Amino acid sequence: MNALSPTLPDGDDIVIRVRGLVNRFGKQVIHDHLDLDVRRGEIIGIVGGSGSGKSVLMRAIIGLLTPAEGEIGIFGQDARNADAATAKELRRRWGVLFQEGALFSSLTVAENIEVPMREFLHLPEPLMAELAGYKIAMVGLPAEAGPKYPSELSGGMKKRAGLARALSLDPQLLFLDEPTSGLDPISAAAFDELIKVLKQTLGLTVFLITHDLDTLHAICDRVAVIGDKKVLAVGTIAELLLFDHPWVQEYFAGPRGRAARPGAPKAVEAA
Amino acid sequence: MVAASFEQLTGPGTVQRLAVSGPMTIAHIADVVEPLRAIAPTGSALVIDLAGIDSIDTTGAWIIHRLMATWSAAGVPATVENASEDAQRLITEVTSNDIEVALRPLAGNPVTARLSRIGAAVVAMSDNIGSFLGFLGQTMVVLLQTLAGRRPLRWNAVIHQCENIGVNALGIVGLLLFLVGIVVAQQGAVQLRAFGGEVFVVNLIGRSVMRELGILLTAIMVAGRSASAFAAQIGSMKLNQEVDALATIGMSPIEVLVVPRVLAMALMLLLLGFYGAVMAVIGGGLFCWLSLGIPPVTFVQRLQEVTPLSDMIIGLIKAPVFGIIIAMMGCFQGMQVSGNAESVGTRTTRAVVESIFVVIVLDAFFAVFFSALGYN
Repeated sequence: MNALSPTLPDGDDIVIRVRGLVNRFGKQVIHDHLDLDVRRGEIIGIVGGSGSGKSVLMRAIIGLLTPAEGEIGIFGQDARNADAATAKELRRRWGVLFQEGALFSSLTVAENIEVPMREFLHLPEPLMAELAGYKIAMVGLPAEAGPKYPSELSGGMKKRAGLARALSLDPQLLFLDEPTSGLDPISAAAFDELIKVLKQTLGLTVFLITHDLDTLHAICDRVAVIGDKKVLAVGTIAELLLFDHPWVQEYFAGPRGRAARPGAPKAVEAA
Repeated sequence: MVAASFEQLTGPGTVQRLAVSGPMTIAHIADVVEPLRAIAPTGSALVIDLAGIDSIDTTGAWIIHRLMATWSAAGVPATVENASEDAQRLITEVTSNDIEVALRPLAGNPVTARLSRIGAAVVAMSDNIGSFLGFLGQTMVVLLQTLAGRRPLRWNAVIHQCENIGVNALGIVGLLLFLVGIVVAQQGAVQLRAFGGEVFVVNLIGRSVMRELGILLTAIMVAGRSASAFAAQIGSMKLNQEVDALATIGMSPIEVLVVPRVLAMALMLLLLGFYGAVMAVIGGGLFCWLSLGIPPVTFVQRLQEVTPLSDMIIGLIKAPVFGIIIAMMGCFQGMQVSGNAESVGTRTTRAVVESIFVVIVLDAFFAVFFSALGYN
């Protein structure tokens, strides 16, 4: 077992454990015996080329897709063969932010945030409103965003509102699918900062799919590279730079990868 | 399941103490919120003892923060003690985000709100009529330019639409009108039997179906099938910015999307209307033969005698007009889609409802018009 192995020693506090995962659509194999471990309290970035199966991996872990083979353990429980009650209990402990926010378009932002509370808990109405208000403030939405409908929000605000809904039940685990794609660099940096702060204050474990090299550098504790239908390597960016694989080298040591490195002379080489 | 709980103590002097224990998390908080908030602020100070809590999340921290804020606002300084590092961090975090946040739209005065809704609806309706007229004009211009040969006619699209609108509807339209023919014959026979005039059923079928029912029912069926399809197709293209893409490439969306549909619909409704009328006559004739004992040969002879050719021509003149209006309604509502997927649904519904409504209104106009011309 080398330092960049996707699996961690048994002693570690592991939140997500994937073993031998096989996903296929028809004859096309997406994942071929993929392994991955995610530690409690870390932000793990998932990178890989387009079509390498990053989103499919996330969908398999959160149960939106039934894998052909393999084990998926979350919080030490078998998520694949869980009965309905356990699965529901597990769902309460994680939040998911989809790429475009996936807000319910017929509900306001505040109502969107209250949906999971209504579904899972019996809280008094005023308390739900209070908590929704707090979540809106916490994710940095403007105070007047609560009664707005998703169609009235900008892309960045939709993502923040989606994040507020994902955090509605105070999950311990957060799945983010390309949270900064489509945002301008300033909003993207602010979103990165928000996730970092939330992780520190709430003690979240974050599973982060991204293409954004700046995000990887700024907030990820470890990065998992998906390629050749497996997790090729997991480690810090510094460790991955020494990993001898053409795609990984191209990704982190290519012009954009170099430009995103902290302290890199920005855009000098490009110009 | 362990629930959150608290104990109220009076400390040294008039200092109030609240010892909170158990899980202060969103799943377990519901029971303690109300009693905690029900305690009226008294004494000289409040100390909240968090030594007994075994877990806390932002919701628990929020409750404690609000409690302290309420007591402080009432003039009783509040503090926490024995807070774990997590609890302290979370309380600091929620405190920093306690701002006034709007959650519900302002309700306002119910009378003025109602009036403003009515006003908005009237404005929206006149806007809608205005934009439909605009759309109608634009389409007419493009249509005339196409017919005059100044724009290419997209034959592939026309043929494809003809298949969707016409050929694929043969089954359902035929069955529907066949059944309507039987029903008209049967109900008519019941009434006419009282006068001993069962043979006049042929007049009833021939005239009503050829002139009115055949084309009207076909048009309603096609409006339900195809106006909705047009609105949904063009609406999703609009959402997906495909319509914008067409325009930027330099292709007119009206020319590419609307004109082929309008032409195909006008042609197909003409053919389908005739086919529907024939199916209804067949249904009625079958009923006459099997139930009233009028043989097919007699039925056809009598049909020829009592149904003037003008009935069929009037029926068929209406068909392309209905077709054009149905196709335009569908395309117009599709073009009006904006914002989100929900608006595709609303616009599709409106396309169907409004096109059926307009078809029936136009049919009434045609009836009055042709009567006034002396075609009875």
